[in-house]
Amino acid sequence: MPDHHHDHTHDHPHAEISQTERPGYYEIMETAVRELLIEKRLIGANEIRRQIEVLDSRTPALGAKVVARAWVDPAFRSRLLANGRAACEELGLSFYDDTGLIVLENTDTVHNLIVCTLCSCYPRPVLGLPPDWYKLKPYRARAVSEPRAVLAEFGTIIPDDVQIRVSDSTAMVRFLVLPRRPEGTEDYTEEQLTDLVTRDAMIGVVPVTLAAERTAP
Amino acid sequence: MNNSEQLLRRLPNDIGGLPADAIDRTEHALEPWEKRCHALADVLDFHKIINTEEKRRGVEALGAEMIGKLTYYERWIATFANILFQKGILTPSDLARKMDEIEART
Repeated sequence: MPDHHHDHTHDHPHAEISQTERPGYYEIMETAVRELLIEKRLIGANEIRRQIEVLDSRTPALGAKVVARAWVDPAFRSRLLANGRAACEELGLSFYDDTGLIVLENTDTVHNLIVCTLCSCYPRPVLGLPPDWYKLKPYRARAVSEPRAVLAEFGTIIPDDVQIRVSDSTAMVRFLVLPRRPEGTEDYTEEQLTDLVTRDAMIGVVPVTLAAERTAP
Repeated sequence: MNNSEQLLRRLPNDIGGLPADAIDRTEHALEPWEKRCHALADVLDFHKIINTEEKRRGVEALGAEMIGKLTYYERWIATFANILFQKGILTPSDLARKMDEIEART
């Protein structure tokens, strides 16, 4: 990586840093729109607070729970692949919007990758908010035309005899990748398996590996 | 063949398959106002005031220059304001007055 970002010498004042106390133009616009809608009783102030709590409660740990359950429970796995949303709801995972969820299973012949070329649709109820790169042009533009090159940037090399399927999300239909269970985890408990599953593996840009373990053994 | 034809074939959001740079995997935590903006989007959707597809089309309607220069949530809040004007729920004067009021009190 070129390090040109670090080259400039800070000989100019950073006014935007010294003024962080004052809200910027768009922040003021957000406050104004919200307050006007509350004044007109179109939305409730508590609804915004409650939805922030919902957003904060959604993290990739939820998706990881779904994946680990599918690995240990073949009947659940079948239900998950048949109807992603209903199977997640079975685990007590509520969908706060009216999106559908299709779960895509990686196998030894197919590797799945999810993208939203038009914007940033993402399985938020099960993974939380998407990473910045998911919302930016390079990933959105290239995932559909050169997925192997994109995967290589994440350090993921998929053998040529494995088909790569890229699924493009919509406002109503979201996708989640069911990664392959790593070898050497036959003795793992469901909880130990959950700790292996990362956000990026459920987007499909990396496999699940033992090295990714989030908690100490 | 005129280059302007491409503008009709591909609206600003329609970038799937175009050549683009390497992926920058830097991530940032949402600013508090960005998270409020996201929650606002969800609440507007729950009340069927602005749904996800309207929001996406509204961002597209900002045009390529604004899409390029505004950040993700800056595009969202500008879009919400535009759609609320179009639906007659707010007027530009309502918003301008309210923004002045907030600016004065902060």
